Amino acid sequence: MTLALDLLTIVGVSAGCFFFVAGTVGLLRFPDALTRMHALTKADNLGLGLIVLGLLPQAAGLGHALKLVAIWLLAQVSAAVASQLIAGAVLRQRSAIWP
Amino acid sequence: MTFSLVRAAGFFGFWLILTGLSLADLAVGILAALVAMRASLVLLPPGQWRPRPLLLLRMALRFLIQSVLAGLDVAWRALDPRLTMEPGFIVFQPRSPPGPARNAFCAITSLLPGTLPCEEDANGDLLIHCLVVSPDVAPQLASEEALFLQALGGRPDHG
Repeated sequence: MTLALDLLTIVGVSAGCFFFVAGTVGLLRFPDALTRMHALTKADNLGLGLIVLGLLPQAAGLGHALKLVAIWLLAQVSAAVASQLIAGAVLRQRSAIWP
Repeated sequence: MTFSLVRAAGFFGFWLILTGLSLADLAVGILAALVAMRASLVLLPPGQWRPRPLLLLRMALRFLIQSVLAGLDVAWRALDPRLTMEPGFIVFQPRSPPGPARNAFCAITSLLPGTLPCEEDANGDLLIHCLVVSPDVAPQLASEEALFLQALGGRPDHG
């Protein structure tokens, strides 16, 4: 059972890291600020979700497990809000340069 | 009154999750929960919506699957040597009323595959940036929004 849970941790955390790397590759390769926002918010959210999922079996108790999930939820909400604010700022800057 | 207490209890529970149970910190936690409750009553007055738990759960599950697909989609595009995408904008006319409901819908949209709300124009239309512009995006968003409004339960006649 412990082995299975440890395996889940290894798979979850590794998959999570893969999506963080993919998001970073997107940040470097995507053509402009708006497409890069897609890469950062969506890939990182899935990455963090998988890492949290992988860490859940290692949590010391229900409190710690809930805290991990809360961290993921807060990061998801902040990514959703921040990406829209940055996208809006990019558009305003563009229209200021090329009215 | 009962409603406020339920909210305060919810915030206190969340505070307990974040900080852990410690007698020395309880007073701060209770104070923080009361302040959060007060703020939430101003920002989200009770009685506007009648959320339907089952539909909310269904929406949460759907959202979870969609956000996994969104992550896979963007990772696939980032790692694909051909870098296939046709970025551009669409204008979407939301049916959710301006305010918290529309903000929540925008937050959901920003985590769906390939869409990112950027701006709301003077008419209340949303300018949405898409990784791949296609005529399917707007109807898809409309059905997501309909489901969202149904789950909130505020406008049964429209939702």
